[in-house]
Amino acid sequence: MSFFGSGSSSTPDSSKEVKDAIVKQLQSETAMNNARILINKVNEHCFAKCVPTPGSSLSANEQTCLTDCMEKYIAFWNEVSRTHHHRMGLESKKMSL
Amino acid sequence: MDAQTQVDVSKLNEADKKELSQILANETQKATIQQTVHSLSDVCWKKCITGKITSGRLDQAEETCAQNCVERWMDSNLAVLKHLEALRG
Repeated sequence: MSFFGSGSSSTPDSSKEVKDAIVKQLQSETAMNNARILINKVNEHCFAKCVPTPGSSLSANEQTCLTDCMEKYIAFWNEVSRTHHHRMGLESKKMSL
Repeated sequence: MDAQTQVDVSKLNEADKKELSQILANETQKATIQQTVHSLSDVCWKKCITGKITSGRLDQAEETCAQNCVERWMDSNLAVLKHLEALRG
């Protein structure tokens, strides 16, 4: 897979089109990467929490636990992100004083 | 995955090149921050979510724990840097 490819079918021609194509590709790969890390982390933590002793199949309780855990992890991630963002704002204000 | 079209970077003019490197720098910074949030979530989840999962929502104690965990992690980070500075003299 080429790194500097665009999603559109026509080959970008002008400078602006080339730029837009690169930005689009960059943003989509960043979002993909972010989602991949999140999914891996959800899997790691929720498997540990919800399936302590793996049986021959997932029980109904384990399935419910997994969906709850996934939602909780995402809510937790958002709270961490919010707090981090807020603190970074305060720190950079302190630095600029 | 979409069919990939090759992009000819040589078609970029100077102004767009400049703008692109600025966008790239911004995206890199955003990605670095997101990495930190991922690793903080990892660390703080272990500390804050200790019981069984009984709901998909964060309760008040978990939310407070998440906030404290991030704040104290940042404090620790700063304390380490400060002491390192002192060690260097």
